[in-house]
Amino acid sequence: MADIKIDVRGETCPVPLVETRKALRKASPGDIVEIIGTHTASKKEIPMALKAMGIEGADIQQEGDVWKIRIGV
Amino acid sequence: MIEKTVYLDNAAATRMDEKVLEAMKPYFFETYPVATSEFGYSLGIEAREALEKARKEIASHIGADGEEFIFTSGSTESSNLALKGVALALGEKKGRHIIVSSIEDFPVLHSAKTLEKQGFSVTYLDVDNEGLVDPDRLRDAVTDETILVSIQHANQEIGTVQDIETIGSICHDKGVLFHTDATHTFTRVPLDSQKVEVDLITVSPHTIHGPKGIGGLYIRKGTPISKWMDGGFQEFNLRAGLENIPGAIGFARAVELITLEETERIKKMRDHLIGRVSAEVSETTLNGHRSKRVPQNANITFHSVEGESVTLHLDMRGFAVSTGSACFSRSLEASHVIRGIGGDHERAHGSIRFTFSRYNTMEEVDAVIDAITEVVNQLRIISPLSKNKEVGK
Repeated sequence: MADIKIDVRGETCPVPLVETRKALRKASPGDIVEIIGTHTASKKEIPMALKAMGIEGADIQQEGDVWKIRIGV
Repeated sequence: MIEKTVYLDNAAATRMDEKVLEAMKPYFFETYPVATSEFGYSLGIEAREALEKARKEIASHIGADGEEFIFTSGSTESSNLALKGVALALGEKKGRHIIVSSIEDFPVLHSAKTLEKQGFSVTYLDVDNEGLVDPDRLRDAVTDETILVSIQHANQEIGTVQDIETIGSICHDKGVLFHTDATHTFTRVPLDSQKVEVDLITVSPHTIHGPKGIGGLYIRKGTPISKWMDGGFQEFNLRAGLENIPGAIGFARAVELITLEETERIKKMRDHLIGRVSAEVSETTLNGHRSKRVPQNANITFHSVEGESVTLHLDMRGFAVSTGSACFSRSLEASHVIRGIGGDHERAHGSIRFTFSRYNTMEEVDAVIDAITEVVNQLRIISPLSKNKEVGK
């Protein structure tokens, strides 16, 4: 089990989702993938893609301009 | 993750048919030597005979003799040889002007740009908003210095099929050689070198369930062309290098396996997708000609969304498609084809290409339409590009 952290602050669509996909491809069952970003549309887009992949229960937090999405793989 | 991918990027590469692999296998493990002349050993002679049989079979599909067809490493090399080989042969003797369409695939387009750097002048012929070359503009563009016209049979992105009968006869009336890149039409759209006045044709099996790493170039008897790669005397002394005999055998087998019925089935999938998308999704534009298009291609712009986002979301749902948007393509520029037919960057960025093959089914087509409708719907809601949040018609 490992924590995989991705920092996509300042990046816009579709980079945050590309990086999320990359991390999920590398992740093993039990890993946590954490994405930190600032692009508003990506905050909505990433959970939407996760749902389509059958990954439910992502934890989404917002602090100021920065959002954080934690995904249990 | 989704286990099975519905692959709809068959213009880029197709899944090889097992029957092709079976045909190739003996030439890796049994008849594996180089092709030798009748003075060589028997196994090499067998390899030579198999190579020549494959050559004849492929050539016959374009109404040509075996001696008019050479094997290359793929479409890229074939088109490079066509343009640079003719330029080498005629540049000093006849003239230094070449005409290509502005929406050619990169092997032709970039060969033309290389020749330009070497002092040739190149006319990049504009196309209309459906991707067609205007024969009158071509006629007007030919000068006394023109040595070659290279206009594709069909476009790699939007699938528009050119009127190469008319183009060929214009070229020959003017005494100019004509090359066409038939990578996306070979065996799917008829092309008979006995009927069309064409001197050079680029073909490849990677789009018809054949192997990668092999291609071919039809060269009409008597066409002035020089080799540009030095080495041995293979392929009628026009293409040096060890012959790819398993590849040639696989190429011939792939050609043999294409049927009219299969092409019709593929065309129905294309028409079904275009029909359903245009009826069910708002703000879409079909790119390319409605009827003069290859049976396997549907290219649609979904306005107000980014093509990369659509391809990513479709990938995560198990569908592989491509886009003319910038980041997806390795050139990092929006599609020169969509811009060539008058589209702006927004239209290029939102373009999605679906290309069908033997291994697709109508159920898969319906599934990708459902998926893309949902994806485009959701993206338009969150997209800053979208003015209209209403998606369904």
